[in-house]
Amino acid sequence: MNCYQCGCTLSEHDFCTNCGADVALYKRIIYISNRFYNDGLERAGVRDLTGAITSLRQSLKFNKNNVEARNLLGLVYFETGEVVAALSEWVISKNMRPKKNIADDYINMIQTNQNRLDTINQTIKKYNQALTYCNQESLDLAVIQLKKVLSLNPKFIRAHQLLALLYINSEEWERAKKELGKCLEIDTNNTATLRYLKEVDEMLLPEEGVKNSSKKKKSEEIVKYQSGNETIIQPVNMKEGRGVTSLLNLGIGLAIGIAIAFFLILPARIQTARAGIDEDLRKVSEQSDAKTATIDELQQQLGELQAQNETLQQDLAAYMGKDGTLKSVESLMKAAGAYLTNPDDVIAVADYLTEIEAERTQEEEHESSEAFDTLYNTLLALIGPKIAESYDEDGHAAFWAGNYADAIPNLAKAFQYDATNGQALFDLGNSYYRMGEKQKAAEIYRQVIELFPNTEKADKSAGFLAEIEGAEE
Amino acid sequence: MINFEEELKKFHPSLEVEDAEEAIYNQDLTDMADLMVKIVKESKKAGE
Repeated sequence: MNCYQCGCTLSEHDFCTNCGADVALYKRIIYISNRFYNDGLERAGVRDLTGAITSLRQSLKFNKNNVEARNLLGLVYFETGEVVAALSEWVISKNMRPKKNIADDYINMIQTNQNRLDTINQTIKKYNQALTYCNQESLDLAVIQLKKVLSLNPKFIRAHQLLALLYINSEEWERAKKELGKCLEIDTNNTATLRYLKEVDEMLLPEEGVKNSSKKKKSEEIVKYQSGNETIIQPVNMKEGRGVTSLLNLGIGLAIGIAIAFFLILPARIQTARAGIDEDLRKVSEQSDAKTATIDELQQQLGELQAQNETLQQDLAAYMGKDGTLKSVESLMKAAGAYLTNPDDVIAVADYLTEIEAERTQEEEHESSEAFDTLYNTLLALIGPKIAESYDEDGHAAFWAGNYADAIPNLAKAFQYDATNGQALFDLGNSYYRMGEKQKAAEIYRQVIELFPNTEKADKSAGFLAEIEGAEE
Repeated sequence: MINFEEELKKFHPSLEVEDAEEAIYNQDLTDMADLMVKIVKESKKAGE
């Protein structure tokens, strides 16, 4: 606070410490101004904008330099839609305190947005036009104009009030009340709004008035009033029975409620529950079908595998010896055992090797092991020539004796164990020839010609072959 | 009962933005402090 005379900052004393001026009254004036400002601030906080305006104006009447009060007054004006009044206060405030003044921000907020400024100006012009229409008794046009104003600036209290007044004039109470309600939302304690509202409420709720008038006119049993284009007729003296009647009504209502629940709600619930159960049943059935299909498939696979197993068991049994080893292996072991026991017993070893050969022919699908082949080949290399020689001797002995039936197997084995023994092969052919088995003989002769060409045996074989073929022709 | 005509008289045209400048200039900004200073000065003059 500064001295009004010299501008020096004042102390707690009632006089200026610089110029000695008496500042007691001046301080009191400033205090009162501040007090009104506080009151205005409090009222503005609870949206009593009319009260806030009154207090803030009082504050400024005591101290025009109370910038906070002026700024707040501008803000309250702005909230009520009085933009020009608000701008005026802020401009004066800015003039009083050019720096660090929030009014500067408020002014910029409006001035920087040209569209907003234009809208504000347009709103004011339309409001003034509406007021002119009212004075010219063109009330419908005024209503239209005011509606436009409020669509542009919904917080313009004076426009709301004027529109409410026009509705009251045309006895449109509900609309008037609606407008006044909007006014109260902006400014809760506006005297004009409250006065209009009281009037409207009296027209909308005329019971109290009727009660007063019922003493005078007991015969009047209805109340009639106009709301917009509708005439509302309300019976006044109709009173609902109380006590037993209320309980009876309550009971009837309860019974109806239960009946509705039983006949309408319960079946719907049951239907819903059934639908749910059907759905569950369908899902379980689907799952069951899927599992049944899986079981069938697995059973089919099991049958196939069992059949396969039986076949394999039979095959294995055929291949197995008494102790469970493969017959070919068993024969090889026996052959090796026989050779080791008596290397000169060529016939016994040869018999085992013949068995192995026969079994290997049967087991041709199965590959023998490397050890098996090695042992077999070794054994064959060791005794093969001896076997061949033995069979050759026995075969030729039988051949020369004319016993071709014995000669044939021996000569065949002699050639089997010694592939260079062309004489054994030739005599095998001769044995077949002499036994009368011409086809087999011819086959053997062809083999002699092919394996031992340019030999005497081949020439003779060719002669016999020609003879056989000539006889066939 | 509200009298429409009487109530209508309470509504005044709103100031337009163009009129704001004039309104500011015409605003009477004299406050209680000004009056007090004026009274003090006058009383001083009277004393002299």
